[in-house]
Amino acid sequence: MSEALNSDLWVDQYGDMLYRYTLVRVKNPDAAEEIVQVTLLAALQAKQSFQGRSTEKSWLFGILKHKILDHFRELKTRRTYELSPEDGSDPLENAYQSDGHWANAPKNWDTDPHKAVENKQLVAAMAQCMDRLSEKFRNIFVLKEIEGLTSEEICKEMNIKPTNLWVILHRARNQLRKCLETHNWDTKK
Amino acid sequence: MSWMIRRLRLTCEDTTPLISELMDHNLPWRKRWRLKFHLMICGVCSIYKQQLEIIHALARKLGHEEAPSQNEAVLSEQAKIKIKDTLKQSS
Repeated sequence: MSEALNSDLWVDQYGDMLYRYTLVRVKNPDAAEEIVQVTLLAALQAKQSFQGRSTEKSWLFGILKHKILDHFRELKTRRTYELSPEDGSDPLENAYQSDGHWANAPKNWDTDPHKAVENKQLVAAMAQCMDRLSEKFRNIFVLKEIEGLTSEEICKEMNIKPTNLWVILHRARNQLRKCLETHNWDTKK
Repeated sequence: MSWMIRRLRLTCEDTTPLISELMDHNLPWRKRWRLKFHLMICGVCSIYKQQLEIIHALARKLGHEEAPSQNEAVLSEQAKIKIKDTLKQSS
């Protein structure tokens, strides 16, 4: 009886938080929902092993992170990480003159990493730009930049050649850069 | 002195992929030095480097546990009921 009460509480207290955290990473709402469910299921079954050394919340997030990684591992069997036309081109492919100098130099954004993360408009723009990446690019970018996996780990988990990984990340970053430049965000904010 | 500069020199076109690559793994020391040298003298490539750093910081911000939701995404009531039922059935 008390177990049923607890699991209801978990959904009410942590459900939305777990869902939002997952949605940033996997983008697809149905997949995110599914991942939250398997996480809470696994937590319920592992309740005995929760020894109260961390908070309940960080324990649940620990399980969630594993389930998200499982999700990316599953995806790799269903898709190839070879480049395809749907991934788009490198926006900087023709950005240089024949002598290697910039033809269209990047404009200064008048911000820096510390200020940028405090700028709500810019953070929102980044979320939108990430959603515009191809699924393949978005997954790899998330694993590298958000989950913080090393290149070796990503190559191993997702079965990608290092050269492919490097091209994907480079192109994704350039696409994000270009996308952010087309958004409006006030640098004074 | 100028022969050294010639050997060290990278073009901007050579440099931008290296800036990205440096974010992912260590470069061999020769490449690292040439990159450093180029960035010392090229303000434009330094701007590009900063922009990649901003992108990295924004991604980390979005991924943070306490990140304010951009669109207030929540589990639907339906989804919550479904999950609660599934959990009850398994215990």
